Amino acid sequence: MTAVCPNGHESHTADYCDQCGARLGAAGASAPAAGATAVLPVVEEFDTSPSTRRDPCPVCGSARSGDDRYCESCGHDFESPAPLADTWEAVAVADRAQFDRLATADVTFPDGYAERRFALHEGENRIGRSHGRPDEAAPEIDLAAPPLDPGISRLHAVLERRADGTCVVRDLGSTNGTAVNDEPAPIAPHTDVALSDGDRIRIGAWTTITVRRL
Amino acid sequence: MSSFTLDAYQNEYLPLGGTDVNAIVTITSDGSGGPAGAPEAAVILIIDASGSMGVPNRKIKAAREATRVAIDCIRDDVRFGVIAGTDRARLLYPLDGHLAPASAHTREAAKQAVGRLKAGGGTAMGSWLALADQLFATAPGRTCHAILLTDGENQHETPEQLDAVLAQVDGHFQCDCRGVGTDWQVSELRRIASQLLGTVDIIPDAEAMAEDFRTMMSRAMGKTTGNVSLRLWTPQGARVAFVRQVAPTIEELSDRAAQINELTADYPTATWGAEARDYHVCVNVPPRDAGEEMLAGRVSLVEGDQVLGQALIKATWTSDQQLSTRISREVAHYTGQAELADCIQDGLEARKRGDDGTATFKLGRAVQLAAESGNDGTMKLLQAVVEVDDPATGTVRLKRDVAVVDEMSLDTRSTTTVRVGTGAT
Repeated sequence: MTAVCPNGHESHTADYCDQCGARLGAAGASAPAAGATAVLPVVEEFDTSPSTRRDPCPVCGSARSGDDRYCESCGHDFESPAPLADTWEAVAVADRAQFDRLATADVTFPDGYAERRFALHEGENRIGRSHGRPDEAAPEIDLAAPPLDPGISRLHAVLERRADGTCVVRDLGSTNGTAVNDEPAPIAPHTDVALSDGDRIRIGAWTTITVRRL
Repeated sequence: MSSFTLDAYQNEYLPLGGTDVNAIVTITSDGSGGPAGAPEAAVILIIDASGSMGVPNRKIKAAREATRVAIDCIRDDVRFGVIAGTDRARLLYPLDGHLAPASAHTREAAKQAVGRLKAGGGTAMGSWLALADQLFATAPGRTCHAILLTDGENQHETPEQLDAVLAQVDGHFQCDCRGVGTDWQVSELRRIASQLLGTVDIIPDAEAMAEDFRTMMSRAMGKTTGNVSLRLWTPQGARVAFVRQVAPTIEELSDRAAQINELTADYPTATWGAEARDYHVCVNVPPRDAGEEMLAGRVSLVEGDQVLGQALIKATWTSDQQLSTRISREVAHYTGQAELADCIQDGLEARKRGDDGTATFKLGRAVQLAAESGNDGTMKLLQAVVEVDDPATGTVRLKRDVAVVDEMSLDTRSTTTVRVGTGAT
């Protein structure tokens, strides 16, 4: 037996919608004026008329029903900015060569560091390490998980993907600085440095982040 | 099988535009069912027999004694075995390579075999765990529990070798780790224990080993429910910020998620006896309009596909700041306990680096948090490392001469929390 939520989802749970979490049963202030059942999407409604037809989900390709904000199958948010044509990712690894070159006393190279991958979304992607406090937004590229590189500042640098398809790195005045590729000197703080596919960003005692265009 | 109760504590009111939903979920298991209804179990004792265990000789003697005490705690019909670990793993009991069903006869035979535990050789813990895994495979379908004792560093294999074994045996058995003396690495044992969902602790003095082993084995025997997972459903568009166990100890579970479908993931919690644990769940949800209520998370406890209990995490948006700025007492308490553990670990690390400024600040903050939350156990351990001038403001001075054992005890036990409301605040 299924219930229908104010957003038109069929839910297998009776208390809250098992898709969007909306409260079932009591029509609260949030329920559409027309009443819950009246806005039930009907398949023909968005399949026949070109004016009301909805593009399928750009992520998983499933058909989109009515005015749903979220994709029924993968949960994609249709109101989020359209994804850029190309995708970039940042891959953080523990870099033995960098560690040996710096030879920082009292810091040990981590035993076992799983490669960490981060998708870069449009705009600013902060590199840093979170405090784990709920009142504090974690940086997008959060390197707080152990093994922790002690040389990374809480808010270290920013990787920015611009609308024109380029990508830059900007040091945020970190304690130990940010370097790019094999350049020994760190980049100037608060200054954009353009990146290309495959560039390596070196931070802390042993962390290297490689940016890749996919 | 135990019966379980789940309760969620939170302030469900969010300010307009607010996205972070925090809740503490308390899970209580009554341990009912007793040993008769208990899952079929298997246990292996893994005892370090490296050369250092013979220096001084009372260490290996204490280990033999403790192992015998633990063997006596094993319930009839539980499959068991004993491994002696050096730079390779050697089976002490039973010699036929199949875990033995416990009985008066086999317990006696195993206790005799423990006499052959002699110190000599190196340390390669990965090989010990790999042998334990092979042995557990001879008792399929049982809840498997290992106890590992060491006194030194994992010198005779690379960290990569240990990691490879941990990845291979993960999910097969639970492992409690104990370090005796002060020559072992806290980070190494913590890594093993946390991957294998066990506890880690220091046994500063070899004489205390037998009592600790008795407690550990009795607890393992008191488990009444097998492989249990915490299942978290979140709505479309939501993101799980973190899931962590916050009592009795802090264990980060966020990276242990096994995705069930797009909206649901399982987090391992291993076995349960009569006990209570608390979990902190933080979910980011897309904001809605004032007055709208939504379910931000459905937390259930599952064994296979059987649901043992559930709790709801809700979100309601409001323009009433009186409602939205209130912080749940439980959430505030455990946020503090997590910061306490971080401060101790950061502070000790800074102290080792010689960065006294950071160490004083971090350990001072730790003292303040321990005092506020009534975490007397941690406070006592902190006092061995710093002189406390004023706990209310976190004013401390680093002690010049700190015994290694005090520093390691503080590090090992930094993740032990007190439950909300139990402190003397």
